Amino acid sequence: MMPASARRGPLIAVRGLGKRFGSVPAVAEATFSAKPGRVTGFIGPNGAGKSTTLRMILGLIRPDAGEATVDGRRYDELLSPPRWVGAVLDVASAHPAMTARGHLRTYAALAGVGRDRVDDVLAQTGADQYADRRIRGFSTGMRQRLALATALLSQPSALILDEPSNGLDPAGIAWLRHFVRDYADGGGTVLLSSHVLTELQQSIDDLVLIDRGRTTWSGTLADFTACYPTLEEAFLSSTTGSQR
Amino acid sequence: MRSVINGEFVRLAATRLPLWTLLTAVLAGGLVPGLISLIGPENATPPMPAIDTADGAAIVLGLGSFTLFVPALIGTIAISSEYRHRTIGSTFLAQPRRPRVLIAKLVAYAVLGTGYGVVSMTIAAVSVYAAATLRGTAVGAPLAAVLTLTAQLAAAAAIYMLLGVAIGALAQNQIVAIGITLGYFYFLEYIIMILPGVNAIYPMLPGGATAALTRSTFLSDALASQISVPGPGTATPVTGALILIAYAVVAAGIATLIPLRRDIT
Repeated sequence: MMPASARRGPLIAVRGLGKRFGSVPAVAEATFSAKPGRVTGFIGPNGAGKSTTLRMILGLIRPDAGEATVDGRRYDELLSPPRWVGAVLDVASAHPAMTARGHLRTYAALAGVGRDRVDDVLAQTGADQYADRRIRGFSTGMRQRLALATALLSQPSALILDEPSNGLDPAGIAWLRHFVRDYADGGGTVLLSSHVLTELQQSIDDLVLIDRGRTTWSGTLADFTACYPTLEEAFLSSTTGSQR
Repeated sequence: MRSVINGEFVRLAATRLPLWTLLTAVLAGGLVPGLISLIGPENATPPMPAIDTADGAAIVLGLGSFTLFVPALIGTIAISSEYRHRTIGSTFLAQPRRPRVLIAKLVAYAVLGTGYGVVSMTIAAVSVYAAATLRGTAVGAPLAAVLTLTAQLAAAAAIYMLLGVAIGALAQNQIVAIGITLGYFYFLEYIIMILPGVNAIYPMLPGGATAALTRSTFLSDALASQISVPGPGTATPVTGALILIAYAVVAAGIATLIPLRRDIT
């Protein structure tokens, strides 16, 4: 199975990040970091700004304020960015007429990675069983594994995962948990957003809480849950969701 | 840059787009010029010179320009599908230097468009010769003139595909993009061609420039005379070529610059 990052991961640092969509403030002064060798959970209610923040780290959305860096540089300033960060952002992000293998070959070529990596990541993520089937027939779980395989093509030293367990079956969720844990234990940096708090509690070392676009807590999981029996209870008492 | 261009060709090969492009090229080249030459352009309405005359052969081959909306449509669909299937985010993650990605796409689709044009116009030329043989006549234009016209229309097909790419990049929404491409190339441009006064700008439009390049103004003039309006006129072939090249440059600029600052949400 594999996981360990090929090399020590970078520090992902977010400082004063802000973004408005029209008159709607999506993210305001978000500040936190994700450290190498640790799994950082990134949680918040729906619409809190998690996905927008992750996309700003990856250069897909331009921040109005602040900056996000990977090893001190913006994502688009990195030499071979996919070698630094692999990302799973959007499970639907695949052309339905392509096969899984064709999809991976495309992104391997775009990133300048050899075709041999395609077979490696297919095997690594268990997507080899349907490598030559058209993506239009894939379940959400199969698409999720393909998205993870795409992220791993360049053997990145950091992973940014937005709701990676969506659509996975229990065996897939357990596999992902071990994968992420082993990846961080091997020195990689993991920033992981999820709503499945019971699952997250088993996987993460550090936690960033974002609410209405602002980071309201950042530190170790142990500190966050010190006064509560579970992460879920700590979360509900700390967010606006508890008043709804 | 080489890996990004390679990536765009790998992407093309991983879909059925090249196959559909080939099929539509065969159909467009074979059906329109092929059928007309088989029926005999002199038997068409309005009657055109027969293919055993230089004008007749050129006019029949020039009919290929009436299917140039097809490569434009292919370019539009190909680019807008990146937004429709949300693959543009993964593409910009693999290569965040966006101009490189967009230039690579332009290169890939220029090659695909040229391929479309070469196949389509070769089939058209072969159809004209085959029809002439079947009808027991000779093709009126010399081979060199036929080859020149074929090459001109193949180049025009590549430029039309780039125009389609630009429309796809600009509109993002696939349905809107297809609507703009079909609406303009299949409807609006013909309306402009026949509207008195307004048709003065027709020679500056892609269709007018292509007609100038290939000297294929017979049908537009015939259409204008049928509805008793002055013809749209035409530029010289060199001006037509320059106008088309200018459109290609503008299309490349739009396709490269517009997505640069766009947020991928």
